[in-house]
Amino acid sequence: MSERDAPSTVPFRGGGFTTRPYRWVGFAVFALLLVFAEVGTRIGFISPLTLPRPSDVLGTFRDLYASGMLWTHLAPSLTRLCVGALLGAGAGIATGVLIGLFSYVRAGLSPVVAALFPIPKIALLPLFVIWFGIDEGSKYALIAFGTFTPTVVATYGAVDNVDRTLIRMGQSFGLSWISIVRKIVLPGAMPGILSGLRISLAIAIILLVAAEMLGAEHGIGAYILEAGALFDLERLFAGVVILSLLGVLLSFSIGLLERRVLRWRS
Amino acid sequence: MLRISRRQALGMMAGVAAFGLSAPAISQNRKIVVGALRFTSHAGSFVAFERGYFSAAGLDLELKFFQAAQPMAVAIASGDVDYAVTAMSGGLISLADKGAIKVIGGALSEEKGIDGQKILASDSAFQAGLTSPSALDGRSFGMTQAGSSFHYMGSKIAAAENASVTFKPLQKVGAIIGALKSGQIDAWSIVPHIAKPLAKSGAVHIIGDVADYLPGYQVTTVFTSARNANDERQLTSDFLSGYSKGVSDYNATMIAKAGGEAGVTEMVGLIHKYVYADRPIEKAAPSIINGTMRLNEGAAINMTSLQDQLSWFQSENLVDGDISLDQVVDGSYVKTMG
Amino acid sequence: MDIRLDAIGHSYGDVEVMRDISLDIPSGKIVCLVGPSGCGKSTLLRFIGGLEKPTTGQVLQMGAPSEDCLNPLTYVFQDFALLPWRTVRGNVSLVLEDHPMSSTRRESIVDDVLSRTRLTDFGAALPKQLSGGMKQRVAIARALAVRPAVMLMDEPLSALDSQTRELLMDDLIALWTRTPFTAVYVTHNLAEAVRLGHVVVVLSRRPGQIREILHLDKPLEERGFGDPDLDRQQRHLWTLMRDEARAADAELLDV
Repeated sequence: MSERDAPSTVPFRGGGFTTRPYRWVGFAVFALLLVFAEVGTRIGFISPLTLPRPSDVLGTFRDLYASGMLWTHLAPSLTRLCVGALLGAGAGIATGVLIGLFSYVRAGLSPVVAALFPIPKIALLPLFVIWFGIDEGSKYALIAFGTFTPTVVATYGAVDNVDRTLIRMGQSFGLSWISIVRKIVLPGAMPGILSGLRISLAIAIILLVAAEMLGAEHGIGAYILEAGALFDLERLFAGVVILSLLGVLLSFSIGLLERRVLRWRS
Repeated sequence: MLRISRRQALGMMAGVAAFGLSAPAISQNRKIVVGALRFTSHAGSFVAFERGYFSAAGLDLELKFFQAAQPMAVAIASGDVDYAVTAMSGGLISLADKGAIKVIGGALSEEKGIDGQKILASDSAFQAGLTSPSALDGRSFGMTQAGSSFHYMGSKIAAAENASVTFKPLQKVGAIIGALKSGQIDAWSIVPHIAKPLAKSGAVHIIGDVADYLPGYQVTTVFTSARNANDERQLTSDFLSGYSKGVSDYNATMIAKAGGEAGVTEMVGLIHKYVYADRPIEKAAPSIINGTMRLNEGAAINMTSLQDQLSWFQSENLVDGDISLDQVVDGSYVKTMG
Repeated sequence: MDIRLDAIGHSYGDVEVMRDISLDIPSGKIVCLVGPSGCGKSTLLRFIGGLEKPTTGQVLQMGAPSEDCLNPLTYVFQDFALLPWRTVRGNVSLVLEDHPMSSTRRESIVDDVLSRTRLTDFGAALPKQLSGGMKQRVAIARALAVRPAVMLMDEPLSALDSQTRELLMDDLIALWTRTPFTAVYVTHNLAEAVRLGHVVVVLSRRPGQIREILHLDKPLEERGFGDPDLDRQQRHLWTLMRDEARAADAELLDV
């Protein structure tokens, strides 16, 4: 038997191009950045003007917690976030469903929504203060308005994407209109609505800071703005960390909700 | 950013001429950036710049305009701006504490007998009985941000009247004016050239003077980076001397009326290039004249007032309690008062 | 209840897709509609079910459906049309929920149709867990639950592989043998037509017309896989259709 005829293993060439969950890498990168900042500020090659020392930020956070101020700031912010996002997302889902279902509503409202979408809602804050008052009203309105438009767009896109054969099936079995909406359209649109909600709620957190620019004595946003005005980097970062934790928490709870509500998806 | 090449050329010529006449300790055409807001309280810089006093001191000066005091302080800390005039705020003290900036002189202080900052009430609050600061209890008071000069003034007035007030942060002077006009907030304090036209419109009412509560209040200060204050003494002195000449001219013309009405008109024309530049001069002139306040001669500084302000910021837990006035102020450049 | 098609014709704009189709669908029989693609089989089925209206002619119901019939004309779709977020039971009970009845009655109907389609053990399963054949059995169970006067089956086995198709044909035959039902069964598969149809209606290509109506007298339960009689019938159908199918295949689709 010659060299050429000798059996050889077929070379494997199917690797790569798949994503695998290496969860620890994210934590490692995060920890590395923190250690870098800590060492840098201690040695002094990062000036205290550039970056606060992570351990000081932690200390500020601990003080905030120990003095009870954390709740003083967190409670009004969470209330604003909940009320605003609930109003905005609720109205957004309702409007989105109506746009998705009725041609007249679609013809009438979708240009309005398209016109509202690109408006930087922060620019309207002074107007909201006149309309809804300087207290909680304007803050709810800003957050609600900011979450409303992306929710509408996501919702009516999701309603449009509901499998038409399922709706035809419902009709062929003589299901009432309301049953078709309730049992076929809404559950079918749920994945799209939830992923829209993910974005809307992130926007709500961003707008929380903006909302607390005007006339807020307490709140995480007010705390951050005050820290910025006082050039107190430790407090600024403590506030920012709270916001990003809030974001992670929200994203995580939507993930849980998705896993519960969308169990049927493969 | 503002550059006027013709003016600069003139200034340079003046500088050369000055060099020929006497030989002051000049900084050899050092390029410096001065931050300013478009307020009459910054007139010292404008007059000195326009009349070539900085050039005469050998400084190639560039004016950089800001919308608010806070970013100006940050710009000093970052080295983008060398000198600026602004109120003593919590942010300023924090930056001084971090070793970034130093107060080196006074710019504007309250003085009994000279028109100073006014205490305002919204029309609805006025109708409901807020006709003097003694009725402030339970009212809301506008401010830009926590730790701003408005916060300090409101707090001190309230304390003097034994009143408890809530402070509403509104970020911008424009927003505060809007909120006051529409009755969203009850009270505020502000410089006279803003207060008087507002009161004339009837939407707000003047109910008192800040000077009655804070005599000798050092409203604004001249400040620079700690590096300039410590290592560039010559440059800093040259800047302060040029600035002081501008202040001196301003006070002499606008308050002592040394040049008569013609002098005032000429000075208003000069300031109008920077303040209310978007309005025609005949409309801007009354506002500029209304806004006349005595600037600190020789950039003299009231240390008592600054100490009081620092203590207040510390008592409100807005800045670190360990900061001493020496960390904030370098009093070696100018005369100190109080 | 019988169904009568009376001179049905249909056009999309200028294009005539169906011409003068008259047909009786007798109670208790399975009528198979076969024809080349594009001959309008599925459109005809939608006319019968009232989901679309023909341009000319009419679909008539002869007599009233029986009392306990909840949805006289009931479809079984090619792609199953199951709600993915409902369990097997949920999908079946969906079509009963709009009808006033006690929940015990509803449950007993669901139990009954699931046992008839041999799905009793899978009531709690979600569609994503089921094979294609099971999914179609769920769809059939759902259709049975409303006690239809006529089942309108639109290529119900086309999405399945050939073994599953054989199994499901046996299931359908068993179902019909136990309780005969009326059905219009659209397919392009001639083997299915000769296995399941009491009557096979051959349509021509566009404009669709009735080419031939074939009556198969052999009882359903006696027809089996590879039955020589059926093979002969199937060959006959194929000779009828071959040229049509070839011509239809060569047509452009842009109409």
